[in-house]
Amino acid sequence: MKTLGRFAKDFNRNKALLLMVLPATLWFIFFSYLPMLGTVISFKEYRVKGGFLSSIINSKWVGFDNFKFLFSTDDAFIITRNTLLYNIVFIFIGLVLAVAMAIVLSEIANKKLAKWYQTGMFLPYFLSWVIVGYFAYSFLSFDRGMVNKIALSLGFDPVQFYSEPKYWPFIIVIVFLWKSLGYNSVVYLAAIMGIDKSLYEAAMIDGANKWQQIRNITLPMLTPLMTILTLLAIGRIFYADFGLFYQVTRDSGTLYEVTNVIDTYVYRGLKTTGEIGMSTAAGLYQSFVGFVLVITSNYVVRKFNKDNALF
Amino acid sequence: MSSTRKKLSIGLASILAVMLFLSACGNNASNNNASSSGNASGSASNSEEPVELSWYMVGTPQKDVDKVMEEVSKYTKDKIGVTVKMTMIDWGDYNQKMQVLTASGADMDIMFTASWAFDYVQNARKGAFAPIDDLLTQYGKGITDILDPAFIEGSKVDGKNYGVPANKELPAQEVWRFNKNLLDENKLSIDGVRTLESLEPLLKTVKANNPDVIPLQVDKNFMPYTPYDYLIEKFPLAVKLDDTSYKIVNIFDTPEMKQALATMHKYYAAGYVPTEAATLESSSDVQATGKWFADKATTQPFADNVWSTSYGYPIVSTPQSDALIYNLSVMGSMQTISANSKHKEKAMEFLNLLNTDPALRNMVDSGIEGTHYNVTPEGYIENLPESKNYDMPTFALGNVMLTYLNPGDPADKWEQFKAYNDAGKPAILLGFNFDPTSVSSEIAAVQNAKEAFWAPLMTGTVDPDKYLPQAIKKLNDAGLGKIQAEAQKQIDAWKAANGK
Repeated sequence: MKTLGRFAKDFNRNKALLLMVLPATLWFIFFSYLPMLGTVISFKEYRVKGGFLSSIINSKWVGFDNFKFLFSTDDAFIITRNTLLYNIVFIFIGLVLAVAMAIVLSEIANKKLAKWYQTGMFLPYFLSWVIVGYFAYSFLSFDRGMVNKIALSLGFDPVQFYSEPKYWPFIIVIVFLWKSLGYNSVVYLAAIMGIDKSLYEAAMIDGANKWQQIRNITLPMLTPLMTILTLLAIGRIFYADFGLFYQVTRDSGTLYEVTNVIDTYVYRGLKTTGEIGMSTAAGLYQSFVGFVLVITSNYVVRKFNKDNALF
Repeated sequence: MSSTRKKLSIGLASILAVMLFLSACGNNASNNNASSSGNASGSASNSEEPVELSWYMVGTPQKDVDKVMEEVSKYTKDKIGVTVKMTMIDWGDYNQKMQVLTASGADMDIMFTASWAFDYVQNARKGAFAPIDDLLTQYGKGITDILDPAFIEGSKVDGKNYGVPANKELPAQEVWRFNKNLLDENKLSIDGVRTLESLEPLLKTVKANNPDVIPLQVDKNFMPYTPYDYLIEKFPLAVKLDDTSYKIVNIFDTPEMKQALATMHKYYAAGYVPTEAATLESSSDVQATGKWFADKATTQPFADNVWSTSYGYPIVSTPQSDALIYNLSVMGSMQTISANSKHKEKAMEFLNLLNTDPALRNMVDSGIEGTHYNVTPEGYIENLPESKNYDMPTFALGNVMLTYLNPGDPADKWEQFKAYNDAGKPAILLGFNFDPTSVSSEIAAVQNAKEAFWAPLMTGTVDPDKYLPQAIKKLNDAGLGKIQAEAQKQIDAWKAANGK
């Protein structure tokens, strides 16, 4: 009774804040927590019988059968490896480049020009992967691609990019960075803008040069944001960007060795049978691994610096 | 209670209400006819109120759909007491949206389905459609009368009918198409061309004389013709067309496919096939420019005319296979009744009318006479400018043989269609539908193994001597053998049950 009383008191005192949180809370309840009940489908052979709920209830339990297709062949190793390695590279290089770009942008004296660069870098973020795929194709096409045209004019043999796996780890990383760098650097740029200018003034008076200022003020001030964004990215490390690995590679079979990731594997495997249970199983598996990784890495971050951890 | 507190609780309650309403909209936006058809069912008992049927159709949504359906409803209300609301979903989205709508138990009455869109057999097995055998005998007399029995027989799933196939061309026949301008220019004749190998001298001449033309246009969907009936489309298991023992084989192990792949690779090496054929989504760009000489297509009566009109230059074709009735050809275009429909009888009555009544069929197909089109006394259609707002996929809307003739069609078009249908012989697996439920994990794994080399091999991009053994090994590792055994078991049971 006492706790309830305190709760009511707390509630009353913070009602304005709670009201502000309410829309987001409801959003999460309706679009994140309620749908979670659907994960039971991954243990069922989903068949339509009446409405959605009665279909779930009436479908047969199949235990872990729906997960089998993910692990049954050597593709399991390839897709896990590709998904993890690409994402690790994306997270790492993406972080370094985004922070570097943000610092460069913040140091450009001509603010008008800086805005131009920033917008230019931001633009690809809004393009869909299908369009990016065609951009890449206009560079890499065998007959008409720009890369091959230049290679020919310099006396090199043209390359059939879409059937040569060895180039693709680089192409994929470059295309990904091209598309995402602008967005990420704007996030860091905003953080840099928020750093108290008096810190830099004090450093200048002490005779610190630009490099020393960056190393001793900007980077330490950015560390909490970098940790949080990286932790969030680790949570999605088992999700691959479908468009990147499907559209940009033009779904070329000969490249699968280096381009098949969990999401494309699931798509290709299930497009004939369309088993909802199996695709739910794949999603659950990805979220579960992501969850475990976030908890672990957050634990590690906490060990070193409690303030930088997510929770 | 203080007044601020009161205000707050009212505010909270109204926000909650708005959120609930919005989230409910998310569910209902796609089927906001649910409530209206629900109401209709409530009042249908007094037999005065017409029943509203919601009809889901594939195709680019047309501006005038609602306008035309209003006219259609006026017509059907008098005839059978129903009104129609059509929802069109674009080609590329149809599959996915319909799967979600069905899985979520949305209230729908009639749905378009086919072997290539919102897969008929799979979804029938998953319980999306209502079985219509009884409805057909009770309310669908007209349908069973006009349809070739092969349509009804071939579209059975596990012994039951779930869909009404559109009456259209029945057999499927593969042809070689040729760009006639280039044939004439090089003084080539297509007499005697049938096999893939017999094309070679023609391709060679064209390659030599017209260096900027693609001699054999091939994209990633290409498959050389082999005399086999496939168990699942683009899946390597098949039965040979004349094999009365019904033995399922891996298509890559057959001498016919091996030879075809070797020939394709030879053509690829000789430069007859586009360099990037294995990743080419479609041939439409090349067809638009006319810079191609030959390709493979599936024909129907007067197809040469249709192709020539749509490309703007003359096309001729010659067969490369017999005209056979496959499961695919029977299930090319169907209407089904949703398992969740509250008006199954009325829906069947409507489908019956759609397939037998030329006035209704043409209204659904071409719109309102005088607004979208005019008809000449001879039964030819003349599109009016407004027809661009109502351009429907004719083949997907039921019996095509009731539709008006297009300018240039021969007067006996539909007689010739009937003759073509009568001449078609059933392919070996007609009526058999594989149930993949017990091997769905293996199918998922095999799909991935298969996709990796299917297009490169089929288009001749890679050397089959080197890649075919790898491919076969990967397929077997992924569990093809288990699927093959399961399919053989099902085929043997089907064979015994049907006295084949």
